[in-house]
Amino acid sequence: MQTLLEAFRLLLGADPELRQIIAVTMQMSLLSTGISALLGIPLGVLIGANDFKAKRLVNRLLHTLMGLPPVVAGLIVFLLLSRSGPLGTFKLLYSVTAMVIAQVVLITPIITGLTANVVSIKAPLIRETAAGIGLSPFRRMLYTIYECRVPFVSNILAGFGRAIAEVGAVQMVGGNVQFKTRIMTTAIMMQTNMGHFEFAIALGIVLLLISFLVNSLVGRIQEKTLSA
Amino acid sequence: MIELKDILIQYDQRSVLDIPSLRFEKGKRYGLIGENGSGKTTLLRLLAGTLTPDQGSVVKLTPNGMGYMPQHPYAFSFSVLRNVEMALDKSEVRRKQALAALEKVGMGQFVNARGDKLSGGEAQRMACARIIAKPRQLILLDEPTSSTDIKGMDLVEQTILDYAAQCGCTLIFSTHSPAQALRLAEEVIFLHQGKIVEQGPAEKLLNQPASEQARLFLQHWQL
Repeated sequence: MQTLLEAFRLLLGADPELRQIIAVTMQMSLLSTGISALLGIPLGVLIGANDFKAKRLVNRLLHTLMGLPPVVAGLIVFLLLSRSGPLGTFKLLYSVTAMVIAQVVLITPIITGLTANVVSIKAPLIRETAAGIGLSPFRRMLYTIYECRVPFVSNILAGFGRAIAEVGAVQMVGGNVQFKTRIMTTAIMMQTNMGHFEFAIALGIVLLLISFLVNSLVGRIQEKTLSA
Repeated sequence: MIELKDILIQYDQRSVLDIPSLRFEKGKRYGLIGENGSGKTTLLRLLAGTLTPDQGSVVKLTPNGMGYMPQHPYAFSFSVLRNVEMALDKSEVRRKQALAALEKVGMGQFVNARGDKLSGGEAQRMACARIIAKPRQLILLDEPTSSTDIKGMDLVEQTILDYAAQCGCTLIFSTHSPAQALRLAEEVIFLHQGKIVEQGPAEKLLNQPASEQARLFLQHWQL
């Protein structure tokens, strides 16, 4: 009980480190989700709406990447960005940029796969109807995207959920540097290991709160769109 | 005129459409009948160009102005009016044409309703309006009244007949109802397991089928 009270005191008192951690977490999660959405939605539409020879193989690869273990993603990005790696000259390791890259590697397949699934269900029906009234392939694609707009929001939300809750990959490439790359999940882990439960609980409450707010917002958008 | 030559379509090494030769004359009304899986939808999709044959060719001498209504037409999540307008070229009379088409199929009171909120029968009538909203040379309808009630069916049938007479277009439709085939078609094509078993004037084929398969199919129906 004492620990919980201390956690609320930290939250209400807006501890500078806590503020910094929340800001870095939000910056990293929003940026990586945004980039992944920009990559994943068009890619998912292309895969879901079109029939091509290697589609089955592409889908299998995509489903494998959707379950990519974060530490593997972290390892790949670490090797790419490390001093002796191909992108070592950019000196990005242990920066928020490196964490965003790792998260993009993790989240893009999720958004792409979910988008491809949604589109592959709707696209054949839309394609047939649209072709039947003489719409061009470009207009068919635009209508397909429009008709899938609500699930797309859910897909992006799923990506954001993964980004904000991720710990393995970002710890490897971010390094959990205080006031620089420390985020809520890595901080919770560290503070728990150190026995500072009040700080860990305060961060846990913030994480849950953000998740609840985002879910409520998206739920509201979906309800409004579906009932309009 | 449309001509099909040596058409073969297979799924999983099973032949679903096998038509050595078939001809549709300009301005004539054709009804495709046959049991489920006989190849009616596949034939319509082939004619619409949404399906490519494994073998053979489709020659259309009237390639422009085709309208195809699939068995499950998609109703977009915007207004019924916009659902019909999307089939028309941008012009000042677009709204007028769409409204007139919707009135004809008894959907005049639904113009502002959302397409994806319509019932199956209403969506079919809206899809029919999309097709008849402008003059076309070839109309392909896949079971156009399968979800509509009797009143809706009468309206759609009459609208199709009026439209075909006015445009002089070729009409090819599929149906499970020989009675509907008799009302709408001049010529009926009976399909069985992807093959054309019998073809001829609607009244003659439906009343006196020559083939055993057509006789068996029609004995379940009361004309």
